[in-house]
Amino acid sequence: MAERIIAPIADRDSAPYWQALADGHFKVTHCNDCGHWTWPPRPICSGCHGGNLSLDEVKGTGEVFSWIVVHRSTSPDMMQYVPYVLALVRLDEQADIYIPGRLISDKEVHRGLKVRVVTEKITDEVGDLAWTTEGVPL
Amino acid sequence: MSDRANRFPRGQTAIVGIGCTEYSKDSGVSTFALAASAIRTAMADARLEIDEIDGLCTFGTSDSISPNLLAQALGIKSMNFYLDQYLGGSVSMSIVAQAALAVGTGVADCVVCYRALNGRSQQRKGGAKAPNASMPWDIQFKIASGYMVPAQEMAMNARAHMLRYGTKSEDFGRLAVLCRTNALDNERAMMRKPITLDDYMASEWIAEPFHKLDCCLESDGAVAIVVTSTERARDLPHRPVLIQGAAWGGGVNISNNGFDDLAVSPAGPLAERLYKSAGMGPKNIDFAELYDCFTFPLLSQIEGYGFAQPGEVPDMLKDGAFDRAGGQLPINTHGGLLSEAYIHGLNHVYEAVEQIRGDAAHRQVKKHDTALVTGQLGYISGYSSAVILGGA
Repeated sequence: MAERIIAPIADRDSAPYWQALADGHFKVTHCNDCGHWTWPPRPICSGCHGGNLSLDEVKGTGEVFSWIVVHRSTSPDMMQYVPYVLALVRLDEQADIYIPGRLISDKEVHRGLKVRVVTEKITDEVGDLAWTTEGVPL
Repeated sequence: MSDRANRFPRGQTAIVGIGCTEYSKDSGVSTFALAASAIRTAMADARLEIDEIDGLCTFGTSDSISPNLLAQALGIKSMNFYLDQYLGGSVSMSIVAQAALAVGTGVADCVVCYRALNGRSQQRKGGAKAPNASMPWDIQFKIASGYMVPAQEMAMNARAHMLRYGTKSEDFGRLAVLCRTNALDNERAMMRKPITLDDYMASEWIAEPFHKLDCCLESDGAVAIVVTSTERARDLPHRPVLIQGAAWGGGVNISNNGFDDLAVSPAGPLAERLYKSAGMGPKNIDFAELYDCFTFPLLSQIEGYGFAQPGEVPDMLKDGAFDRAGGQLPINTHGGLLSEAYIHGLNHVYEAVEQIRGDAAHRQVKKHDTALVTGQLGYISGYSSAVILGGA
């Protein structure tokens, strides 16, 4: 379990999302009616505006769409990694979902770099995610 | 598009007074004192008495003094309108717009918009702080990765623009140099030491592609502006600065599902409504004070507000198109948030009013009848706001 000073605050909408990450699963809000994926985990489907939603596990793969190199971190938890790449990853499931996360990789970052999610347990109820190229076929 | 934008009370209200405090790294006083000082100065500038105020508008992130406390302190007995808008630079022009609505419809007569903050000495933007339940809901999905300050978010968009249009660090650097150059002869500006493109390129990385010199200041200070009816403004001492148009509402951030290109300026959709509300277009704008929390948003707004096609700004910058002296569209004539001070965008209104009045002395631009003044273009909260001001 990772010691964190800055951890997400789970609320009624986000608690199952953070719980899944704590349990090692990356789950995204999924519409049972229209099949659309919605992130972050809101109570309304972005596709059809309905409320018949499930939190379903995604493949956890995607491509880097944009990235920055954090040289000056304001997060006490992240200072140890500076400089590190913070990537916005487009999920394979749906092109309009971008998920930020630290990129753990020795490869040079570029748009289209294929990555997969890694989860990290922070508390029994809250987890976090990062991205890695490890074990991802080119 | 509906004709709703035409319903804005175009030109029916005016800014008749402006006030500010010294901008500094440590005011040594409370935001209560800063706000009171700026409001007194603005009302004196308008030649109006404090007890004529019947509305107060502000915004912030729970880091300032609220309208009710100021009203009690100022002895305002008949408070007809107030607004205590939560959030940052994205809503900065929405308070001016809503003051215009209040006065335009007649529910209030004399509304003061103010922003006071001890952004450097007390509540710093870059300060690490644990999240709390009062923060915007979507913050929780970014902070865990250390994706927690605006510099990082806007650098992400800047990268997307570089990838799509071949925009370079030097292009952002030219914007930093432009703002600094405009601040050199501005007695209000906090940063009055010249910088060169080489200085920019050598400045340390914060969130690559952003250098330190891509980032605005953190400041202590306050600005207040007085809004009343245009009819009344004609009897007051200064050239009335009419609120010709305004728009506030949606921007774009990573939580807007359905949006799929981070390189496109989120100012575009707002611009269309803004120009319609004012009955003008980009060609009518003489100069612009654009929200410059970082360099890249300047470039993106020049595109989004219709002054350039996407990707054209770098060449226009090299040609001096946005220079205060001789540019076709002078921007951030006071040095902006990058080099004057970070009074969360309300200092842009102050400068625009001085320019329109013709009171900007050595900073005075040649054509100064119509100004575009903008709030943050809509990346973070998903809100944006802007006004068009014009001399009567």
